[in-house]
Amino acid sequence: MSRPPSKQAPSEPVPLVFVVDDDEELRLALDNLFRSVGLQTRLFGSAAEFLKASPGDAPGCLVLDIRLPGVSGLEFQGQLARSGVKLPIVFMTGHGDVPMSVRAMKAGAVDFLTKPFRDQDMLDAVATAIEADRERRSREAARRDVRGRFESLSPREREVMTLVTRGLMNKQVAGELGLSEITVKLYRAQAMRKMGAGSLADLVRMAEQLALHGTRE
Amino acid sequence: MSPSAAAPPRISPVLPILTAIVALAVFVVDTLTPLDIAVAVLYVAVVLLAVDFTGFAGILAVAAGCALLTIVSFVLTHGQSPGTGPALRCLVSLAAIAITALLAARNQRAVAALREQASLLDLTHDTVFVRDRNDMITYWNRAAADLYGWQKQEAVGKPAASLLQTVFPAPYADIVAELEREGRWEGELVHTCRDGRQVAVSTRWALERDPQGRSVSVLETNTDITAQRVAEDRLDRARMELAHVSRISTMGELTASIAHEVNQPLAAVTSNGEAGLRWLARAEPDLVETRKSLEAVVRNAQRASDVVRRLRDLSTKAEALHGPVNLVAIVEETNALVERELRSHGVRLAVDLPANLPAIEGDRVQLQQVLLNLLLNAIQAMDVVPPDRRILSVTVACVGDSGQGDRLVLRVDDSGAGIAETTLPHLFDAFFTTRSEGMGMGLAISRSIVEAHGGNIAAVNRPDGGASFTVSLPVATGAA
Repeated sequence: MSRPPSKQAPSEPVPLVFVVDDDEELRLALDNLFRSVGLQTRLFGSAAEFLKASPGDAPGCLVLDIRLPGVSGLEFQGQLARSGVKLPIVFMTGHGDVPMSVRAMKAGAVDFLTKPFRDQDMLDAVATAIEADRERRSREAARRDVRGRFESLSPREREVMTLVTRGLMNKQVAGELGLSEITVKLYRAQAMRKMGAGSLADLVRMAEQLALHGTRE
Repeated sequence: MSPSAAAPPRISPVLPILTAIVALAVFVVDTLTPLDIAVAVLYVAVVLLAVDFTGFAGILAVAAGCALLTIVSFVLTHGQSPGTGPALRCLVSLAAIAITALLAARNQRAVAALREQASLLDLTHDTVFVRDRNDMITYWNRAAADLYGWQKQEAVGKPAASLLQTVFPAPYADIVAELEREGRWEGELVHTCRDGRQVAVSTRWALERDPQGRSVSVLETNTDITAQRVAEDRLDRARMELAHVSRISTMGELTASIAHEVNQPLAAVTSNGEAGLRWLARAEPDLVETRKSLEAVVRNAQRASDVVRRLRDLSTKAEALHGPVNLVAIVEETNALVERELRSHGVRLAVDLPANLPAIEGDRVQLQQVLLNLLLNAIQAMDVVPPDRRILSVTVACVGDSGQGDRLVLRVDDSGAGIAETTLPHLFDAFFTTRSEGMGMGLAISRSIVEAHGGNIAAVNRPDGGASFTVSLPVATGAA
């Protein structure tokens, strides 16, 4: 059962469902369905129309027909990934196309529904997708926060933080940077305070988020 | 005409005996009674009686016999003293016998000729009968008796149209008008025989006029074409069945599109229905939204049933219906069927359909099948060119001077690679295909359908690339 969105934290905007289908009646039907459970919707007749629109500032997802005029849903999925749109996608298809659904799921689709679908399936899929997007958004918000704090560090503090989180002792850091050990300690305390890290472990996690050592999270 | 024209003349012995008795009586009276009159003239009656049972030579022989009896009688009664009176009477009698014999013999010959001609009419397989001004049958040949089951004596004197329950191909008044104007008329009729069997006949009417130019009678000659008609009907049915099979196989190619066409409105119906329930289930039911949802349900259900109706029409195996059809409506309906196919192949459709085109005569479903074939072929033919160059053009135009003999020309142009020169001559052959799937019957059946509609179909390569198919169909007669 989908969670009634009205119970969400008041600060969070109402989730937004983007519907892309070339069939106007089906767009209107989905619009009606999503609005009846309190979601916001944006409707598009083609992939191109959707790309022109602004992504909106709310957790959301994309409900997409796999066969679209001009471009196939799968191609479109690829285009979106390349252009950095990270909305979770729920695919719809007119007929159970297994190879296509496998490809779509591998490429990160949340769900794949065959028309005519049960609405509960659609609402569940959309709820899952929105939840995934909400998590992704909060992760990204946290990362942006860390990034902002990191950018408030002085060049020296950043250097010290980078080396410390790589596992170097204060002494080694001092040697590396040509500073005295006491100065390194000072920069290190400063960096930890500015980053809001309670422990070295916290700082290491932040360094990982920031990909300071060239590794991916 | 002689009532016994149909049978060889039967010789009754009564008449010759009677004739001989008369001859003998005349001879006895002529010889034994002393009357001063030309009793021998009465031999004329003998000659006339002979006409009824003997031929040309027989008449002359009887006449010669009568002349001989006259002379014998003369010799017996006036042999010793032949006066001028008796001799003259004898000569008058002989002359009368001779003249009567010659006239009778000549008449006999003419009757024989007529009888022979009349018996020829009985030999023909065609039914021949003559109707007078009031449609009463006055002559009825043997073939008519054989075909319809009424003997001549039963048919003669009856009104033809009601006896045969004639079904005319056109209003009777029109037929009569043409007959009066041209002196003849040809057509096809349906007659009902005595045993209730219906026969189709090809008929030719000829009008006979009197010297004043008034119509007197109509000679009607009919050929039984029932068997031919049955064979034609069988052929039609075979063609129809083949067309049906081909239509079903064409629909097979459309399966994916059809599934989408049906599922799309069904998905909309369920979503709107569910949404409606939710609007209604709210703490404060939103009746405006509920109403909108229900309206959308109705709209989409209608849409789904439209799709189903179109498919059902196409898959139907009904007898070909011939009636006035609107070609533009057929084009629009067919375009709707392939809409999805156009989209999935990225083909743009350009349509030019003038308003107020005259109707054509034919079967809507079969003509739609022809167009569907052409459209699907064209769509597939364009898979080889880049999407931005895939243009399908469908036009209908009326060719002619808006009178009889006008034709509607339907043209389907694609922008594909065109048709190979070696393929062109075989394009409409049965089982000819350049594709891996399909029976190669689509165009062959299209051609047979178009030709059954009195039209023709042709394909050419366009100078600027792609193929062009034209279907030319005659405008319905009597259409505005």
